[in-house]
Amino acid sequence: MSFKAADLIYLLPLLVLAVSGMLLVLAEAFYRGKDRAALMGLAVAGAVAAAVSSIVVYRQLAPGEVKPLLSNMLLADRFGYALTALFSVVTALAAMVAPAHQRAHGWVHGEYYGVLLLSAAGMAMLALAGNLVTVFLGIETMSIGVYVLCGLRRRSRRGNEAAMKYFLMGAFATGFLLYGIALIYGAAGTMAFAGIEDGKAFTLAERLVDSPNRGLVVAGILLLVVAFGFKLAAVPFHMWAPDAYEGAPTPVTAFMAAAVKAAATAAAIRVFAYGMGGDILAYGNFGWASPMVVIAAVTITLGNIAAIRQDNIKRVLAYSSISHGGVILVGLAALGLGSGTAQTSLMYYLIAYSLTTMGAFAVVAYVGSRDNERLHIDDWAGLAARHPAAALAMTVCLLSLGGMPPTGGFFAKFYVFKSAMEAHDQQLLWLVIIGVVNSAISIYYYLRIVTAMYFRDSKGAFEPSRSAPLAFVMAVCPLIILEMGVMPGFWLKLGL
Amino acid sequence: MMPGAFILPLLLGLPLLGAIFVMCTPKGEHALHRGLALVFTTLTFLISLLLLRYFDNRVGTYQAVLDVEWIPVLGARFKLGVDGISLWLVLLTTFLTPLTLLAAHGAVQKHVREFTAVMLILETGMLGAFVALDLFLFYVFWEVMLIPMYLLIGIWGGQRRLYASIKFVIYTMIGSLLMLVAIFYVYVQYASVTGVYTTDLEALSRLVLPHDAQLWCFCAFALAFAIKIPLFPLHTWLPDAHVEAPTAGSVILAGVLLKFGIYGFLRFAMPMFPHGAAVMAPYIAILAVVGIIYGAFVAFAQDDVKKLVAYSSVSHLGFCALGIFSLTAMGVSGSIYAMLSHGLTTGGLFLGIGVLYERRHTRRMAEYGGIWKQMPVFSGLFLIITLGSAGLPGLSGFIGEFLTIFGTFIAGDTFPKGWPDYLPAPRLLGALAATGVIFGAVYLLFMFQKVFFGPLDKKKNGSLPDLSGRELTVFLPLVVAIFLMGFFPRPFLRSMEQSVQAMLQTYKVRLAEPDGPARLQGDPVPDAAPAAAGTPTAMNTAAPGPGDGAALDAQLRDLAGRAQGAAARIEGAAGASAAVDVRANGGTP
Repeated sequence: MSFKAADLIYLLPLLVLAVSGMLLVLAEAFYRGKDRAALMGLAVAGAVAAAVSSIVVYRQLAPGEVKPLLSNMLLADRFGYALTALFSVVTALAAMVAPAHQRAHGWVHGEYYGVLLLSAAGMAMLALAGNLVTVFLGIETMSIGVYVLCGLRRRSRRGNEAAMKYFLMGAFATGFLLYGIALIYGAAGTMAFAGIEDGKAFTLAERLVDSPNRGLVVAGILLLVVAFGFKLAAVPFHMWAPDAYEGAPTPVTAFMAAAVKAAATAAAIRVFAYGMGGDILAYGNFGWASPMVVIAAVTITLGNIAAIRQDNIKRVLAYSSISHGGVILVGLAALGLGSGTAQTSLMYYLIAYSLTTMGAFAVVAYVGSRDNERLHIDDWAGLAARHPAAALAMTVCLLSLGGMPPTGGFFAKFYVFKSAMEAHDQQLLWLVIIGVVNSAISIYYYLRIVTAMYFRDSKGAFEPSRSAPLAFVMAVCPLIILEMGVMPGFWLKLGL
Repeated sequence: MMPGAFILPLLLGLPLLGAIFVMCTPKGEHALHRGLALVFTTLTFLISLLLLRYFDNRVGTYQAVLDVEWIPVLGARFKLGVDGISLWLVLLTTFLTPLTLLAAHGAVQKHVREFTAVMLILETGMLGAFVALDLFLFYVFWEVMLIPMYLLIGIWGGQRRLYASIKFVIYTMIGSLLMLVAIFYVYVQYASVTGVYTTDLEALSRLVLPHDAQLWCFCAFALAFAIKIPLFPLHTWLPDAHVEAPTAGSVILAGVLLKFGIYGFLRFAMPMFPHGAAVMAPYIAILAVVGIIYGAFVAFAQDDVKKLVAYSSVSHLGFCALGIFSLTAMGVSGSIYAMLSHGLTTGGLFLGIGVLYERRHTRRMAEYGGIWKQMPVFSGLFLIITLGSAGLPGLSGFIGEFLTIFGTFIAGDTFPKGWPDYLPAPRLLGALAATGVIFGAVYLLFMFQKVFFGPLDKKKNGSLPDLSGRELTVFLPLVVAIFLMGFFPRPFLRSMEQSVQAMLQTYKVRLAEPDGPARLQGDPVPDAAPAAAGTPTAMNTAAPGPGDGAALDAQLRDLAGRAQGAAARIEGAAGASAAVDVRANGGTP
C-alpha cells in the first residue's frame, strides 16, 4: 500500500464531488432561507469544479495511459476522466432543472442537492473503478443516493411506490452483484482487475481463464450480467424502471435516466472489458457476450413495443430509455467480441444519450404547471404554437433519441452499430438489423409527441415553470446534441 | 480544387442561410418572410445555372467536386459533385423551389415564417442528397429531408394529415434503415479488404462483394429506393401523403423527392452491387410495368383530382424504373428525361390543382365543369401541362417515355445475363408499358374534360377569377420549360450521355467480376484459405483502426495482393485453374 501525495490530483474530481456533497448536506441544515435556490448555486459550483478538475487530469494523462491508484483500487485513465466529467456536467444540469420544479410541485427539499452530489461521487468511483470492490462501493454509493432522491416527495403515493420499487429491486440486484463477485473471487483469488502478487503481474481475466473451477467462473459471470441487467434496466430485469421513472420527481428521473444509466454502463465496461476482457472469456456459448447479445435484442425490441402503447410522456421516455439500454448492451457485446471501435462508440453514445435525455426531461419539467405535471401526451397538444422554443428543444431531443440525423443520437447509434458490425467476423449482423429496424419503430412514438406539439391545437393555456437555470439546460442540451451530430470528430476522440 | 467547386457548397449553404435569416425576422411579417425566401431560392437557382457553364459534356466523371475532410475517425468526407445524372435533377430542384414558394403565397396563411424556413431547409436537404458523393453524407441528407416533409404534411396539411405524415415517415424510415445496415456492411468489408476506413462512394464502388452478399445489399438498398419511387406494391403511402400535403408539399414530393428512388438506384445500388441488380432487374421491371398499368387504372377511377394525379405519379415513375432496369443507355437516359419531365408536369398539375382548390375549396371533379369559360388563361396553360404529362409529342413527356419503352424493347438483346425463361420477355414488357401511355392519355384527358369543358352548371364556379399576375409568373416558366424539353431534347440528352455510358460501363465491368470473397475491382479472386506463403499477417488480422498503422497495413495488403496476383497469373498460364479470370488479372496494378 503506497500512496504518494502527487497522486492526490488524480482523486481530485472524486474528492470535490464527495466533499461538496457533504458540505451541501451541512449547509442545508443551517440554511434559514425559504427558497433553496442558493443551494442549487453551490451544487452547480461543486459539480462544475469536479468537471473542470476531471478535464485537467484528463489532459495530464497521455492517450492510452493507465495509472493504477491506491493499489489498483482505481484506474486513472482518459476514459474514466472523460466519463467523470460527463457525470459531473449531468449532475450540474440535474441540479439546475430542480428549483423550478420544486417550487411548482411543492417538494422544496434542500437535501436534493447534497444527495445528488454524493450520488455523483459514487458514479465517479465507477468510472475509475479498478477492482470489483470499488465497483460494488460505487454502485451502492450511487444507488442509495438515488433511492433517497426518488422518494423525496414524501406525500406522493406514486413517489413512495417508485422509491420502494426501486429500492427493493436495487437491493435484489445488489445481491446478485455480491454473489457474483464472491464466486469470481472464489475462482480467481482476487478482486482486482490487475495487480502484482509475489512479484508477478497478474490480471483477473488470466486468473479466470486458468481457474480449474470453470463452473464457478461461468456462474459468477452470469450473476454479474444479471446484476448489470438490473442496473441498466434490461429486459427481463426492467420491471422497476417505468414505475420508478414515472413516480420520481422529474429532475430525479432525468438524473436517473441520464446519469445513473451512463454510470452503470461505465461500470459494466470496467468490469467486463477491463476485468474480464481478452480473447477467451467473452466468447463461446458460456462467454459473457452471449447472454448480453440475447438480452440486447430482447431489450431493444420489447422496450420499443412497450413504448408505443404509452400515453404518459415520462413512461414513453422510460421505455425508450430501456430500449436505449439495449443498444448500450449491443456496444458492450461488441466490445467483448473484439471490436476495436466499440469503446469509443460507447463513450460517444453515453455522452449523446445523457445530454439528450437530460434535455428532454428538462422540457418535461418546464411544461408542467403548478400542481399539474401535464404528463399525458394530449396535454402537450399545441405546445409549439404557445412555446415554440420549448417545443423545438423537445423536438431536437426526441429526434436525437430516435436516431435521426443531424443529431448526436443518430451518430451515436450509427457508431455503435458500426462497431457491432466489426465484431467477431460480422457475427452480430442480425443484431444490427434488429437494432436498426427498432430505430424505425421508435420514430413512431417519438413523432407522436412531436405531432401533438406541432400538429394539434391546444386545449388550455400552458403555465410553464419558468426559471433561468432551467431555460439554460433546455437551450444547451439541444445545441450540444446538434453540434455532436454535425461535427462528431472531437467527441469521437474522447476517452482514447 | 476543380473549377466550379465553389458552386455546390454555395447551393447547399444559401437555402440554409435563408432559413436562418427568416427565423431571425419577427413573426407575422409575412411579406418579409416570403420575400426573403424568394430572394434566397432565386439566387440559388441562378447559381445552379452556373453549373451548366462549368459542366463538360464530354466526360462522364464527377465535376465541380469539392472534397473536404469531415469526420476523420470514421473516414467520412464532405464530398460533393455532379455528373450528367444528377446535374439536371439539381437544376430541377432549384427551379421548382422558388416557383413553389411563390405559388404558396395564397394557400399558406398560418405560420408563414416557419413554412418558408421549412421549405428552405428541405431544399438544402434535397440538393445535398443529389450531390453527396460520400455514403455517410448522402445518408445524412437523405434522412434530413424527411423531417421538413413530415412537418409540411403535418402542419399545413389537410384533414387526415396526422395519419398521412406518420405513415410517410415510418414507411421511408424502415426502408432507409435497412439501407444503413447495407452501408455498414460495405464499409466494414472495404476496411477488412484494404485496411482503410472510408465512406467515399468512389472508393467503395471499387469493392467487389461475393455474389450472395451483393444480392442482399442490393435488396436492402432497393427497398429504400423502391419505397421512395414508389414501386408497386410499396406505393400506398404516396396517395395519402399527396392528398393530405399542402400544394407546396405535393409539388416538392412529386417533383423532387420521388426522384431520389430512381437516382439512388442509378448512383448507388446498381454500380455498387451489379450482380444483385442483374438478378433482381427482371423482377423490378415487372413490378414497374404492373405499377404503370395499375397506377393508370386506379387514377382513372378517382373523383379527387389530387388523388388522380398522385396515382398518375405511380404510373409515370413506373416508366422511370422500367427504363433504368432495361440496363440500356437509351432506357437509362430516357428514365432520367422522364424524371425531369415528370417533375415539371406533375409539379405543374399539382400547382394547378392548388389554384382551383384555393378558389373553390374542393378537389372533387364532380364539383367542377366548364371552367374554361371562366378561366381561359389558366385552362390553356393547364392543358399544355396535362398534355405534357400525357406524353404528347412536342412536349416534354413524350421523349422520356418513348426512350424508356424503346430501351426496354431492345433490352433483351443487350441484357447482361439474359432473362430467366419463366419471366416475360422484355419486348412484352415494353409493349405492356406502351399501353400505359395510352391509359395515361385517357385518364388525364377525361380529367381535363370533366373539369374544364362541359356546361358551367355549378353556381359557385360562375365567379372564379382567372390567374393573377403572381400565379401567371408561376405557370409561365413551367410551360416554357415543358416546351423547351419537348422541342430541344438534344442539349439535355447530350449532357447525360457520357455519364450514363460511364455508369453502364462500370456496371458491366463489375458484373463480369467472378464470384468470390470480397476484394477490390480488378484484383484476382483470393483463395478461400489466406495467402500462407506471402505475408500471412496482412490477410489474417482483424481490421485495424485508421492512422499510420492502417496505412502500413494497406501497403502490406497491397503487397500480398500482388504476390497472389502473380501466383494466379502463373496458374492461369498453366491452365490449371479455370476459375481465374484472366482479364481481371490483366487489370492488376
